[in-house]
Amino acid sequence: MIDFLPDDTPELRAWRAEVRAFLAEVVPGGMHFDYDFDESPEGWEKSLDFWRKVGAKGWIGLTWPKEYHGLGRSAIERWILWEEFANWPAPGFPVIGHAVSWFLLRHGSHEQKLRHLKGIADCTILWGEGYTEPSSGSDLASLTTRAHRDGDDWIINGQKTFGTAAHQCQWMAVFARTDPNARPHEGISCFLVPLDTPGIQMLPMHNMAGGQQNQTFFENVRVPHANLVGDVNQAWSQIWFHQGGQNLDQPGHAPDVMEYRMLRTLKEVFTFCRETKRGGKPLIEDPVVRLQLAELVEGMEIIKLQSFELHSTLVNGTAEGWNPLGGVFNQIHYREFWPHFAQVCMDIVGPLAQIEGGRWAQLQGRIEHYFRGSFGNHAGGTAQLKRMTAATRGLGLPR
Amino acid sequence: MAIDFHFDEQQKLIRDSAREFFRKHCPPAAVRAAAKATEDFPAELWAGMADMGWLGITVAEEFGGLGASFLDLYVLYPEMGRFLVPAPHLDAVVVGAGLVSALGSVEQKQAILREVVAGKLLIAPALTDTGGFGAEDITTEARGANGGYVLNGTKLLVMAAGAANLLVVAARIAGAEGVSLFLIDAAAPGVAREKLPNIAGYPLYAVTFTDVSVGAEGLLGEAGGAWPALEAVLDKAAVLQAAMVAGAGERVLEIAVDYAKNRVQFGTPIGKHQAVQYLCTDVAVAQRHTALLALHAAWRIDRGLPVAREASLAKAMAAKAAAVMTFSAHEVHAGIGFMEDYDLSMYTRRAKHWESHLGDRRHHLERAIALTLEPAA
Repeated sequence: MIDFLPDDTPELRAWRAEVRAFLAEVVPGGMHFDYDFDESPEGWEKSLDFWRKVGAKGWIGLTWPKEYHGLGRSAIERWILWEEFANWPAPGFPVIGHAVSWFLLRHGSHEQKLRHLKGIADCTILWGEGYTEPSSGSDLASLTTRAHRDGDDWIINGQKTFGTAAHQCQWMAVFARTDPNARPHEGISCFLVPLDTPGIQMLPMHNMAGGQQNQTFFENVRVPHANLVGDVNQAWSQIWFHQGGQNLDQPGHAPDVMEYRMLRTLKEVFTFCRETKRGGKPLIEDPVVRLQLAELVEGMEIIKLQSFELHSTLVNGTAEGWNPLGGVFNQIHYREFWPHFAQVCMDIVGPLAQIEGGRWAQLQGRIEHYFRGSFGNHAGGTAQLKRMTAATRGLGLPR
Repeated sequence: MAIDFHFDEQQKLIRDSAREFFRKHCPPAAVRAAAKATEDFPAELWAGMADMGWLGITVAEEFGGLGASFLDLYVLYPEMGRFLVPAPHLDAVVVGAGLVSALGSVEQKQAILREVVAGKLLIAPALTDTGGFGAEDITTEARGANGGYVLNGTKLLVMAAGAANLLVVAARIAGAEGVSLFLIDAAAPGVAREKLPNIAGYPLYAVTFTDVSVGAEGLLGEAGGAWPALEAVLDKAAVLQAAMVAGAGERVLEIAVDYAKNRVQFGTPIGKHQAVQYLCTDVAVAQRHTALLALHAAWRIDRGLPVAREASLAKAMAAKAAAVMTFSAHEVHAGIGFMEDYDLSMYTRRAKHWESHLGDRRHHLERAIALTLEPAA
């Protein structure tokens, strides 16, 4: 039955109230901290403190099985939790622990789940991304980091790059080539690697929005065979395609945090337009500005509804008339719209929008910072890559 | 059933039977023939739709309808878009009969709705005088006379006025504020109907009223008070128009993808080229966005939630999609898509009508931002 209402029972409404009460107690007034674009030690400290409190409630692993440090709750409860967190706002969950949890739940051994999900569930272990390499971005399957078997261990050699906040992490999920003779997609394995293992060196890369990403070098890094996830040589189909292709491993989709960041930014721009005169009249009365704002509202509404569609697909299966690869189509819009949104906000605020801080900065320079951050829209694959995936896998065009 | 995109069993049944019915009765040849015919639309098609119960899905049971939900009606619309159904359901039933349902007295409903549902009476809404979409674009004047009114003015883009028995005319009563609606016999003295040749091949008319007399009983709703109800009915129609665009988009996408897979140039299917793949994804993305906004707005109508803003977002997106989808599909096709006997061109012609019908993108974006910035307005 067509429905867009997440909390349609008294129990779910009570759950939302419980989440909101928790937020009011733990982060009154909300906390704006995006580790992608912010490297302040104070922000990190407060963010980790917040997520450990969430972890203490059991809410990080809300939908995981109870056997593996979860609460066994429903996908819709997770939706409501994330909607409240995004709207409050709570700081973003640090790095890729959720993705790791989904693939561990799907492909991990009993021991791996018991051990590694604990650190994610209480936010004591942060996981960094060890997929991208300097020469393997969109074409991830061309990666050259090698792992070879040595008795009960694997020895990893190679280099990973762009690891967002990896320097804050204790573990990394590393994709490495384990069969150099197989076809590119059929010789990759996934390893769980503690970042304090001898032979690992990390160098910082600073992105243009103030976040730290990292180069990670692996020189004869030894990990036990027990740290291999899933089948040897099968990481591409078992893990990457599910993450990069679409989020099949998730129990359900949650509202997009990005939409709420945009909403906050847009509300600030609304206020700016009401309070600022240009050409002798308030900007908010300028018909061109109003059309610009309307198109931003439209694009954000689509991001919101895309989340609903993906959630329905993951929970109830693909409805007729909707492409089974809806998640990939969602990513096209998100990646194209985000920088457009930032560009239009800069345009409306005008020339003073370029001032980063100080008394003459508009909206404390937040639009300028947001604009810089929007060039991070490629994480997980560019819009162009998503279009290629959508065209070939989604529409059936030849590869 | 929190967050679900699956139609319920009844809706699936209506959708599937609509798809079968239109597949049988509206093949491309029939759509082309209807556009060239002198009659406004094929009478047997309309009679068939009446037999299926589709002219009264949301009409109350006491007036001969099914009294079903808006989503039950909604599922017809992607199918009508896909098959380019040459029948004025949106204008005659959703707007015309919708206005009678919303504003009519019990007597008016009794006299009109049962006949509409049976396919025996056709209503043509005659709304805009200028091509504009707001209340201010309604300028036809109704002058009080002899306890009734005398109308003068010209209504444009009136759908199926030639076949209509009854016109719902939006006018302003001289010396009074607001918009009023009148039910006028299409054959009344002083009513002149002039068919407008148009890009879509639709039966669109200019209807001129020269000293047309109507009694006080011809007033539909309160004098000067029709606009809010008219706006609400037009919101529903706008959502269905968006659903029609989304359904047509599914077919346009199929046509473009099939062609890209099979057309070989430079020794390879053109669909292997990224430039062509991106054009196909442009069609798919625009279709998807329209379907998302339309379905959400329809759900809000079904739930009785405020919908003006969402309806406008849906229609604004549909207007953009109608242009983007057909343009991109033509880019994929090049020469063959330009030919009248290739199906794509049928969609392109009608898409241009859908783009502005019930409000163009600019109108609906202006409305959506006004409702976002000033929700009370």
